[in-house]
Amino acid sequence: MGLSRRDFLKTSIAASTAATVGLPISKQAEAAVKASEAGWQWDKAVCRFCGTGCGIMVATQDGQIVATKGDPDAPVNRGLNCIKGYFNGKIQSGKDRLTQPLMRMKDGKFDKKGQFVPVTWEQAFDEMERQFRKVYAEKGPSGIACLGSGQWTVQEGYAMNKLFKAGFRSNNIDPNARNCMASAVAAFYSVFGADEPAGNYDDIEYADSMILWGSNMAEMHPILWSRITNRRLGHKDCRVINITTFRNMSSDIADLEIIIKPNTDLAIQNYIAREIIARDAVNWDFVNKHCVFATGPYDIGYGMRPTDKYAFPAEKDTQAKELRVKLDKYEAIAQRRKEGEVVEQQNTADPARHWLISFDDFKRAVEPYTLDFVAELAKGDPDESLDSFKAKLRQLADHYIDPKRKVLSFWTMGFNQHQRGTWVNEQVYMNHLLLGKYAQPGNGAFSLTGQPSACGTAREVGTFSHRLPADRLVPNPKHRADVEKAWHLPAKTLNPKIGSFYAKILRDLEDGSVKWVWVQVNNPWQSHPNNNHWLKAAREMDNFIVVSDAYPTVSAKVADLILPAAMIFEKWGAYGNAERRTQHWRQQVDPPGEARADIWQVLEFSKRFKIKDFWGEQSVPGLKADGFPDGKLPSVLDEAVKLGYTPEASLYDVLFATPENKKYKWPDPIAKGHDNHVVRLLGDGWFPEKALWQEYVQFGRGKGKDLADFDVYHGDKVRGLKWPVVGGKEVPWRFNEQYDPYVKKGAGFEFYGDLFKAIPKGDLDKVTDPTPVSVAGKAKIFYRPYAAPAEQPDERYDLWLCTGRVLEHWHTGTMTRRVPELHRAVPAAVLWMHPEDARARGLKRNDLVWVESRRGKVQVRVETGGRNKMVRGYVYVPFFDEGVLINRVTLDTTCPISKESDFKKCAVKVYKA
Amino acid sequence: MNLSGILVVARPERLSAVIPALNALPGVEVHLVDEATGRIVVVLEASDILGEIEGLKRIKALPHVLVAEMVYHYLADDRQTYAELPPDLAEQDSNACAVPAYLND
Repeated sequence: MGLSRRDFLKTSIAASTAATVGLPISKQAEAAVKASEAGWQWDKAVCRFCGTGCGIMVATQDGQIVATKGDPDAPVNRGLNCIKGYFNGKIQSGKDRLTQPLMRMKDGKFDKKGQFVPVTWEQAFDEMERQFRKVYAEKGPSGIACLGSGQWTVQEGYAMNKLFKAGFRSNNIDPNARNCMASAVAAFYSVFGADEPAGNYDDIEYADSMILWGSNMAEMHPILWSRITNRRLGHKDCRVINITTFRNMSSDIADLEIIIKPNTDLAIQNYIAREIIARDAVNWDFVNKHCVFATGPYDIGYGMRPTDKYAFPAEKDTQAKELRVKLDKYEAIAQRRKEGEVVEQQNTADPARHWLISFDDFKRAVEPYTLDFVAELAKGDPDESLDSFKAKLRQLADHYIDPKRKVLSFWTMGFNQHQRGTWVNEQVYMNHLLLGKYAQPGNGAFSLTGQPSACGTAREVGTFSHRLPADRLVPNPKHRADVEKAWHLPAKTLNPKIGSFYAKILRDLEDGSVKWVWVQVNNPWQSHPNNNHWLKAAREMDNFIVVSDAYPTVSAKVADLILPAAMIFEKWGAYGNAERRTQHWRQQVDPPGEARADIWQVLEFSKRFKIKDFWGEQSVPGLKADGFPDGKLPSVLDEAVKLGYTPEASLYDVLFATPENKKYKWPDPIAKGHDNHVVRLLGDGWFPEKALWQEYVQFGRGKGKDLADFDVYHGDKVRGLKWPVVGGKEVPWRFNEQYDPYVKKGAGFEFYGDLFKAIPKGDLDKVTDPTPVSVAGKAKIFYRPYAAPAEQPDERYDLWLCTGRVLEHWHTGTMTRRVPELHRAVPAAVLWMHPEDARARGLKRNDLVWVESRRGKVQVRVETGGRNKMVRGYVYVPFFDEGVLINRVTLDTTCPISKESDFKKCAVKVYKA
Repeated sequence: MNLSGILVVARPERLSAVIPALNALPGVEVHLVDEATGRIVVVLEASDILGEIEGLKRIKALPHVLVAEMVYHYLADDRQTYAELPPDLAEQDSNACAVPAYLND
């Protein structure tokens, strides 16, 4: 390339950059842009990576992506893109991209102990079907499972959900989003009766105090962070508070950094509530009109197995806490009990049940959370003085309470991946509701998601073992009937028994109750905690594991069959971000080789089955539901015939290529010249991504979850829309009459979500009157106590271990690690450690060490400097590296209510390798 | 070769210090400055993506730089398929779809 062309290109890129961020450019520069981009086709799209949902523009030429840029018209990112944006254009082109199905074979046949060999799609599906039929005949709907993803497009998740729940009559489908935001969901349900936040990202530009709880936004959500930075610098009263267990990049701009011990966020929030009451700052007008008080049982375990049958000998003492807990001195005070008391965990089966309490009970419950008590419990940095820490807690309370300040709370995995994740989410609403600082511009509480469509696909479509589309629930007979009607299914086709959640599917593989599993767009054998169990289950038990992915992952390595998948811009799709914004994109380039979209894989597999294979009577051990015989799904074949189906009809025709759906034909002018490889391969002339979208949107309309039509999102001017989209308009703040047409006129606010809105009455310990009372339209202010972590450092394992992400890697590194240059940026996972802890163990920076827990050990290198500053007693290891499977070490406790795993706290030792 | 368009923001009164500091960084050229808002458009050139990342980090680390984020990523002249893979992902056989050795070890 000549120098002059390079200079010309640079001028053009500078001009394009300036135009993108709204800086004026000269006519000459404009001409340079035009000339250097001649022959390119630009199209709008959305970033593949985190849940922020940045809009990007993609340029293609001759079937290749030649440039990407931040979308200047995207309200989320306004032209900016973080470094991950780069990989949207690069992830497709790693050399180890999977382009053919690979199956374990020996002597020309499938063999679980064989080596991977390329096979045709036909051979792959043949074996997949044979194994499926064998397991289904033996175990019925409970013996199969799908581990799905918040990276599925909306339509992919919808198709797989329908195939499993309607076709196979199995609820064993759960997304990795379970491990990302299930705690946020559970609290949205229990507090508001409806999932997802009231506000949106624009709250940032209205807020006075922004408080981060367990969220390193600077590193993990850099584009939102740039908006926070702008607000902090442009608004002189704006303050940022970072509450964390170690110093991270977000502290750089924070006015106040509060370093706490794991789980003590529970106590700090109760301290704030106590202060609100003590300072007579309760917003009684708001609370009386719109809220009630509630609580639930304390003895709910830690989401581990109820038996130690499968536990390694060393982990039995931790596992025993599932059954009984000996209260330490802090829990005793926090729960108004005696130190040393042994509490049988009697509510592990139904940890989510809750009941109304009086304000007086609530006040009595938070009374023990004095500044002295909470400061002593929560102070996380042994080198900080108690007085300094107390002053910080007082300041934190001041920020929440000051009537002149609009307060915005943010959290990510520090709250959600938490043994009491649902409680800690409920508590943040507790304080916002007590103060009446919620659902108004600048006053809000916001759970940020780590996945691009955790909201759009996993939550809204309901690809969880207990959910159906648009906030419908599997055990609710009315909700199942709605879905059966919409899907033209005979009554009682849907299975009323909640399926296995993500962690349980892995446990089911270990104990042999699930023997066939299909994994799409996620990497459970790298990303799930206490991994030695699941690695062993995959390779040593009799089961069949299918992994659809674009690159070889740890999960592909332990699979029996690998299906090559298309990546984001190789297919049509839609994602829903963390602020309820739904965004669609078109296929930009073709997938390589025989890689094919996940939706094609689902549709193609469904062609192999007939309704008679599933809609006869099926045995479901443990099923107990009104109108169903115990342990059985009834035959619905006679009813199916009455609906006009023949028993020989294929699942493809009954569930997907229906007469209604086939009305959406390809070619479609909305494509504007873009291709669709799924249409081409199916070859029967319909447009599945559009048809399934139009089928899906009926579920949310009129229910406060209204989505617009497919073509609307593809409009040139549209940059995603925040649901509910009512009369063509987005709703920026839900539950607030000023903005939300669903709120009754004159109500001011109305929390109209209808889940769990009839509950009994009781006191702090128990239900006293079981008659359900309606709390329609109200939000619940929960009292939840401090509970100690299930495992804490002791003499043998003397350090806390926390795991998480680093900026350059997202998900489990599956995509970003494909580009070797990036690979070198953070060459291998390191263990961040305080220099004094290193010195005490005779270690120095870069030393190779073992990090070992009761469950396993891995080797890493020590880092004592860098961007993360550990406090003494605390170490951090990122989880992205295939060579450092830190999840061999982590503990698989979950929040017992949300079933989300806690990756943030377990006890380890570190010693020289 | 990779090229990026990057938006840098500094307080307007710091521009006189920030602009020369940016121009002194390897591969960085300041192209446009908006004196009123402190916004600066720079173009960063590096031989590969690692270089781009490190270049962006160097910009972020400069004194008085408040924001530095990517806007534009130019990939057209970067047709390499990144042959330099970690050894455990090396190809076995070039006839069919490469089965990374890593899967079968």
